Amino acid sequence: MATVKYSGIEALEKLKSTEPPVFLAPSSISEVARAVSQYLFTKLKPHDPKSQLDQLWVDGFDTEQIWQQIDMQSQHLLPSLRQEVNRFVKNPEEIRKLANLALKVSHEDDVDEMDMDGFDSDEDNELESNDSEAEDEEEDDEEEEEEDDDGEEEEEEEEEEKDGDNEGIEDKFFKIKELEEFLEEGEAQEYGIDYKNKKGVAKRKNQNLSDDEDEEDDEDEDEDDEFDAFAGGDDEEADKLGRARYDDFFGGKKKETKMKLKDLSEDEEAERENQGNEKLSTHEKARLKLQSKIEQMEKANLDPKHWTMQGEITAAKRPMNSALEVDLDFEHNARPAPVITEEVTASLEDLIKSRIIEARFDDVQRAPSLPTKGKREAKELDDSKSKKGLAEVYEAEYVQKANPAFAPTTLSDELKKEASMLFKKLCLKLDALSHFHFTPKPVIEEMSIQNVPAIAMEEVAPVAVSDAAMLAPEEIFSGKGDIKDESELTQEERKRRRAKKKRKFKAESANEPAKKARDTSAENP
Amino acid sequence: MAESTQMDVETATGGTVPLPPKPTFKPLKAHEMSDGKVQFRKISVPPNRYSPLKKAWLDIYTPIYDQMKVDIRMNLKARKVELKTRADTPDISNLQKSADFVHAFMLGFDIPDAISLLRMDELYVESFEIKDVKTLKGEHLSRAIGRLSGKGGKTKFAIENSTKTRIVIADTRIHILGAFSNIKVARGSLCSLIMGSPAGKVYSKLRSVSARLNE
Repeated sequence: MATVKYSGIEALEKLKSTEPPVFLAPSSISEVARAVSQYLFTKLKPHDPKSQLDQLWVDGFDTEQIWQQIDMQSQHLLPSLRQEVNRFVKNPEEIRKLANLALKVSHEDDVDEMDMDGFDSDEDNELESNDSEAEDEEEDDEEEEEEDDDGEEEEEEEEEEKDGDNEGIEDKFFKIKELEEFLEEGEAQEYGIDYKNKKGVAKRKNQNLSDDEDEEDDEDEDEDDEFDAFAGGDDEEADKLGRARYDDFFGGKKKETKMKLKDLSEDEEAERENQGNEKLSTHEKARLKLQSKIEQMEKANLDPKHWTMQGEITAAKRPMNSALEVDLDFEHNARPAPVITEEVTASLEDLIKSRIIEARFDDVQRAPSLPTKGKREAKELDDSKSKKGLAEVYEAEYVQKANPAFAPTTLSDELKKEASMLFKKLCLKLDALSHFHFTPKPVIEEMSIQNVPAIAMEEVAPVAVSDAAMLAPEEIFSGKGDIKDESELTQEERKRRRAKKKRKFKAESANEPAKKARDTSAENP
Repeated sequence: MAESTQMDVETATGGTVPLPPKPTFKPLKAHEMSDGKVQFRKISVPPNRYSPLKKAWLDIYTPIYDQMKVDIRMNLKARKVELKTRADTPDISNLQKSADFVHAFMLGFDIPDAISLLRMDELYVESFEIKDVKTLKGEHLSRAIGRLSGKGGKTKFAIENSTKTRIVIADTRIHILGAFSNIKVARGSLCSLIMGSPAGKVYSKLRSVSARLNE
């Protein structure tokens, strides 16, 4: 390959003129490229604050090494380049100035020329109008921009007024307007919207998107419009707050809120109009319905409640006869009286008849009393003359108290004893008759003398029949002498017996008069 | 006069005469009481009790003379029964008891009922008149008396048996013999009878009261 040493510019020209595919294949163009890079490197070196290489070393160096050198330089240059670009973005007018300068300096500045061509056509008008005003750059810029959009002039004037109001805060170093602009710039950069032409762009967007009827975009545009409206409203409010009085503030608060609402509604209507009278989307319709409902409910809440919902109400507080119209609910404690119909009476009568036939009357039955103890022995009032004397009565009482064991049994006890004895005897006799269930004679422990043999042998014959307990003849009758029957007596013997009897009787009657006298005295008190 | 200022003091050491032992006396006999004089009791005999006394004399005499050890005699002229303490009368109350016994007989009580006075201390005789309870005249009085005794005396006997007392209704006088509380109950029922309550009511009250009494 012939190494023709070109000069920088010439090399550049050659590189520019070559076809792109030639770059892909390894050819002599590499020498040219190296030369070009060298030339550019040396050209850019003065701008580099931290340059470490005097020139780009190309001979015998690898592509990678060459690239590293270029990279080193470009790293230092990039931040300053960025700043310059931003400046040009803000102030395209400077490009023109630069362009003029550049044109004056050299004709071969391709980069600037290309850019300037784009801007010249748009901003000729602006430049001409702005030549007269050169002192306040910011105002110039803003007025230039805002001549496109008339709506922004008011904002500008208000901003100027605002500057006048905020004299206390601002000074030559700090301007709120600048701060706001800075913030807006940042937002614009972040979101990719040209903030100065925001309104214009938004409106263009509306026109574009309304055809599509995209809901999301609608929301966005709505948000944007509202944002603008609030921005405008905020500005208005800020002015008024500075000079507000109490009445204005509180009296005017409603107006302000109303104004806000009005603004919103106006904006909505405006955007609806802007939409070109398109039919409402379903979302829109739903929203409108909901809003109307909300308004209704809020109105109802604010109004005084209906009298039925007010809790305790007196007659004076509700309209006349209003309680008649309302369906009131009472708790009835008493069962309602049964309605007597023919069916009811018929059923009752049937029931009565059936009951009579069955003889099932619900009569009240006496509750069975608990089994009480045996009735106490009610001491019967003895209304006959007592056989005992008073002394004996007290004696008996004393004995009973002192020695209950020796106390003579009372009349009731004796009667009981007698009754029990009789019954036992009867039972014994009956058992003896039957003889199937032999029961021996009950042993009654008595101290009385009985005519019982010393040895009682058990006999085969039952007790009722046997003569074991019979008395001997002597025991029955122990008499001496000649025993004669009445029919065998002679006359003298009869007389003798009679005389004996009389004597006996007289002897007895002689002892008795004392007793008899006593009795009569007792009977005649 | 020369008076010694010093007191004469008896020395308690030694030389003191021991006190005589406390004397023990036997209780006084009735005879020795009232300075050894004999005590008398005289009980007059109403005319209606004269013949009953004659009949029951021995029954009166025997317990008084033998058991109470009190002399007894009948003063026919004065129509009085006289009682006198003997030497061997153990207790002065015997005389009084005997007197009460004889007096009870004179009022109209039977010998076995009156004997209880001799045997028990707590028996008393209470007497009152119908007019003390209620002023009744003529037929009312007769009817009252009839109410008191009842038919065949059954009301009276009922009261007697239930309250363990003995009652004697002598025309307008009423005598009750028995213990104090019993007398009270009997008196109450008799008064209610005099006042006019029917016998049945008195019976029912008697039943309840006597049950309480006998507890």
